[in-house]
Amino acid sequence: MANQPYLDCIRATLTASVCLQNFPSQIIERHNKPEVEAQTSAELLCAPVTISRNDKQMIHIETSVNSVRISVKVKQSDDTDRILCKKFMNFLNQRAEDFIILRRKPIEGYDISFLVTNFHTEQFYKHKLVDFVIQFMEDIDKEISAMKLAVNARARIVAVEYLKTFQV
Amino acid sequence: MSVSVKDGVLSLAQSISCHAWNGDFSRLAFCPNDNSVHIYKKTGNDYEREHVLTEHDQTVTSIAWASNSNTLLTCSHDRNAYVWVEQDGTWKPTLVILRINRAALQVKWSPNEDKFAVASGAKCVSVCHYEEDNDWWVSKHIKKHDSTVTSVDFHPGNILVATASTDGKVRVFSAFIKGMDKRPEYTPFGKRVPFNSEVLGEYEANGWVHSVRWSPDGNQLAFCSHDSTLTVVDVTQGAPGIVQTVKTQELPLCDIFWVNDSKIIGAGHSCRPFIFENQNGTWAETQKLDDKKGGPQDNKRSAFSIFQNKDKMGQDNNVKTLNTKHKNAITCIQRGPNNQISTSSLDGQLVFWNV
Repeated sequence: MANQPYLDCIRATLTASVCLQNFPSQIIERHNKPEVEAQTSAELLCAPVTISRNDKQMIHIETSVNSVRISVKVKQSDDTDRILCKKFMNFLNQRAEDFIILRRKPIEGYDISFLVTNFHTEQFYKHKLVDFVIQFMEDIDKEISAMKLAVNARARIVAVEYLKTFQV
Repeated sequence: MSVSVKDGVLSLAQSISCHAWNGDFSRLAFCPNDNSVHIYKKTGNDYEREHVLTEHDQTVTSIAWASNSNTLLTCSHDRNAYVWVEQDGTWKPTLVILRINRAALQVKWSPNEDKFAVASGAKCVSVCHYEEDNDWWVSKHIKKHDSTVTSVDFHPGNILVATASTDGKVRVFSAFIKGMDKRPEYTPFGKRVPFNSEVLGEYEANGWVHSVRWSPDGNQLAFCSHDSTLTVVDVTQGAPGIVQTVKTQELPLCDIFWVNDSKIIGAGHSCRPFIFENQNGTWAETQKLDDKKGGPQDNKRSAFSIFQNKDKMGQDNNVKTLNTKHKNAITCIQRGPNNQISTSSLDGQLVFWNV
């Protein structure tokens, strides 16, 4: 697929980003927060990386010592895409708890965000987490295209049936 | 509860944060990534659980077992450190007032086992020694860090201490305790080394430093940082010394250990250990341990496996399981029994390596 170099680049960056460690907060005692969300100490955060295929499709990776935030901007070429994407993401975000690594709200400018913490990497294989994110990105594109085709097909059928009533 | 070593692998828990051996390697202490410390007794290839120490409130981050005095030291995210002494078959804890207001990340005994250092998230190192008159452990702080101190190690001379921090620097300080330590004849960083938080040596790393260790003879200092490098500083000719950096093509190392003065074993997020050796003055990565021949699946069966995966998991690509002994990042390396090196990882396994 023409997408392959884009996905390979993302895979390499994510594999390096997901090297997290348990890090207790140095601001509040006895607390353990994902530093990428708290954003309190500059030295614990890495420079954010944006990998973009074109101006419509990109992925933003923010790493810190104990957490990674991955934000994806899904390809949306027209209004139908935008509506479908918005509804789909809304559906997923409401069930973020079952997804475990999904963030309830996407970061500004992106459609969906993941938050992976050191506790997730302790439970799951790192390379499977990365596989999941990449598979997810591929699946979303396929799903939205399929949904758009379905919507257009249905619209055509409905229009034909409706206009039949005006047939002379 | 008894477990045996199978093929060099000991499965102890769901996850292990740290481990330590006693002086004669007959006992193993480790923390299963929660607030307890388990002590197992070794009989041949079998390990049997002897004690479970549950004094800490949060995850125990580091265990240090003094080989001569058999005193156990543990520190945890709950800002405390306990000194455990074995009396009548049970371990009695003594709380050490570290005077830190953040988590303790690593604890190490000094070579003479008369004092210990604790690296903490309070951006300082607490050096504690035993005061006879008051019958308790007194702590003194080494400040001058800009961020959490992740690792600390005593120089074999019992005076100097090296610290690693998430501000990307490794620093050398003096931990000279008046009345307890004899003034040193010579240290690589000068003869007059009072305890005053003065930075005797500072080395830059390109990222968070995870672990720092002095070589057994005290002439070299090695540290690994998050940019997947291992740096060795040679201070045989005195400070600041010659700095050599070895870049690896792997994921960052979490811990390192000096096997001898010219061999270091490092392990981390790649889930396997690497050997670095000093060949004619230049350090280089010489070996990757845990080299299993052959990938997870043969080429002949790849077509079959693609359809099998599609059917079972709904995925096209080959489902890869890690073909290393450790399935998650290796966080702690210690010298183990039978002249082997033991590594523990977040996957709950302890693996023995012949180096």
